[in-house]
Amino acid sequence: MENALGISGPQAIMMAITASFTILGMVMLLAAMLMKARWKPSYAVEFVFVGIMLGLAWYGDLTSVKTYTAYQANLNAEERRISGNYDGLGEEAFDKVVTVIAFQWGFGFINEEEEISRNALMVKPGETVLLKIMSNDVIHGFNIPVAQITAEIDPDEKREMWIRAPDEPGQYLIQCVNYCGIGHAQMKAWLVVDAGEENNGENS
Amino acid sequence: MATMEMDDPKMGNKVHWEPKDLLSGVSLKQILFSNDYRYIALKGIFTAFIMLALGGMFAIIFRTELAIPDVQIMGARVYMTLMTLHGMVMVFGFLIPMVVSISYYMIPKVLGTERLLWAGAAQWSYWLLIVAAVLLIIGRPDFTWTAYAPMSTRTGNPLIWMGHVAILLVAISEFLAGAVLFRNALASKGGLKNTPLIAWAAGTIGLLFMVSTFPLGFVGFGLLSDWAEWTSVAFFDPSRGGSVKFFLYVFWTYGHPAVYLPFVPAIAIIYTIMPRFLGRPMWSYWSGVAAFVLLSIGALPIGPHHFQPLYTVAGDYQRFIQILTMLVFIPSVLHVFNWISSLFMGPIPDSARRAIPFKFMVFSIAFIVYGGATAFLNAQIAPNSDFIHNTYWIPAHFHAMFFGFAGQMAFAGIYFLYPYFTGRMYNQTLGNWHFWLWQVGLFVKITGMGVAGYLYFPRWVYDYLDISGWATTQMFITIGGYMVALGFLFFLVNLFWSAKHGKEVTGDPWPVVHDLKAAPAAQPAE
Repeated sequence: MENALGISGPQAIMMAITASFTILGMVMLLAAMLMKARWKPSYAVEFVFVGIMLGLAWYGDLTSVKTYTAYQANLNAEERRISGNYDGLGEEAFDKVVTVIAFQWGFGFINEEEEISRNALMVKPGETVLLKIMSNDVIHGFNIPVAQITAEIDPDEKREMWIRAPDEPGQYLIQCVNYCGIGHAQMKAWLVVDAGEENNGENS
Repeated sequence: MATMEMDDPKMGNKVHWEPKDLLSGVSLKQILFSNDYRYIALKGIFTAFIMLALGGMFAIIFRTELAIPDVQIMGARVYMTLMTLHGMVMVFGFLIPMVVSISYYMIPKVLGTERLLWAGAAQWSYWLLIVAAVLLIIGRPDFTWTAYAPMSTRTGNPLIWMGHVAILLVAISEFLAGAVLFRNALASKGGLKNTPLIAWAAGTIGLLFMVSTFPLGFVGFGLLSDWAEWTSVAFFDPSRGGSVKFFLYVFWTYGHPAVYLPFVPAIAIIYTIMPRFLGRPMWSYWSGVAAFVLLSIGALPIGPHHFQPLYTVAGDYQRFIQILTMLVFIPSVLHVFNWISSLFMGPIPDSARRAIPFKFMVFSIAFIVYGGATAFLNAQIAPNSDFIHNTYWIPAHFHAMFFGFAGQMAFAGIYFLYPYFTGRMYNQTLGNWHFWLWQVGLFVKITGMGVAGYLYFPRWVYDYLDISGWATTQMFITIGGYMVALGFLFFLVNLFWSAKHGKEVTGDPWPVVHDLKAAPAAQPAE
């Protein structure tokens, strides 16, 4: 499982720090409740803690951007190539460019031929698809669990992300993950992976 | 320092800390409109119980829905309304009023002033909140407690303005509550060196209330204006020239201080009751003061770490915010260190070990460590923006902080004050059931949410696919939720039964007894 909370991978040290702080706090609390020997801790101990926190603020900031880059790189890794942010290096690299319009409550998908499909993103197995996502009205989310992307779209802005379609033909969920009004839960669409006649041999 | 009133172990012997049955021979009118601080507090606490019961009921209903994937017991509309109301009722109806009401009672007691200054403002604060709650229940706005524009102005609901007015009223109500807390903190005669920590807490958080509720009031007004199209150029709605970013900045300038509004009074309860149970002063007075001041200063600028979409915060500004966010850990560490050191620097009396409020207090410290240490990851905005922010990881964090810590501390305060309100002691067995059901239930629930976040479970979904691990964690969270609800039932039975049949208490209900076996006569009343 590779994500920003991964216990292995780029965030491993932060996860370890977090876990040790939790355990340290619990052990101190248990000691305070159960230990026989007791003494008054000196201020120096508290200052050590403050020092550690200052260090952690510095370290956490330093790793923040690094982790994000590493995570993106991991999604883009040759053997995975699942999804990522569009780096602006040219749309020709993608098999398909689709404009996604998020609205209350649904998604519209417009392909290069200006054909609009409401609530179904039609792709072929293994295709790379560039998604230009925009919101028509309010802040929406755009999540494709199978491609591990989650984005939020503000009506003032546009986001460009890409996904690689799964190899297995079928229907995969696309959903809004940012509460956008009472119809939020119905704001779903399908990523339809259809091998089609001519592609069957190549990709299945 | 040791002579400070709040740190004085003999505080329980003071005349004004006598247990008393406040409810006998009192008319309903007096309870509702009296400016006596005890009745203002009692009224607020009771209302908060009702809100907690409501909010909890909503949670139990949608938890049941979430337990099993693909099985629907309600529609999405109902689910989302319940979800919205759960958040609003718990934060604005239960948590903040509960700890503020407890402060209304404790501050005059600890300072020995025996009256709540500006009680009229506290009265207005209470009734405005009631009006806001009624408006919310009638209008049933579906925009969640964050009321994100333009979503909150574009719903088909013709009564949506009630939600906007309710936001405005909550802002006024919280402003008044802050003013009351601030004024009463100033009543302390201790000066800078001897003012009890609860007054430091009330002073700093009172100021924070007063500063931060202005943006909230503006949010309420701006949304109403945008909805009614009072101005030709909208404030927040981009389709009429407004800006969503402007909304984000205004709202979260209130929103981050808002999470400290229940948090700091809950901390103040620890500083007040811990010395009572241990029979010795806190480890450090100045560490506590410094932590309160730093926490209030640190709260104001860091709202942007809440932004949705989070990528609106980028570059150097993002780093600035995340560094400030991580620095806000320091005051919390000072607090926790102070508490643990106070526990550690001497023996823990048997009387404390067996007292329900003390147990709640120790375990809420455990939950603040759990929720706080894991929040270190949340402060990193870049990795946070598209992953953590939208998964159950965040609900795990705020349920640990709001419920595991602040909510449980409120209950520690309630159990502690029980004899002072009723003249009787709660039932120990029922109290223990409540205590253990909550600790196990909360731990299961919060850990379940954390695991669900780790498994990438998205927020705001009413149904989900049976992706590996998802259904199991949801089932665990639901079981935890049921345990919490059951614990609350034990509490309710205890609350009403003991008020009539509990053992009567005279004198100090919380005597410090180091060895209960050696001195059975001094055993605290049960």
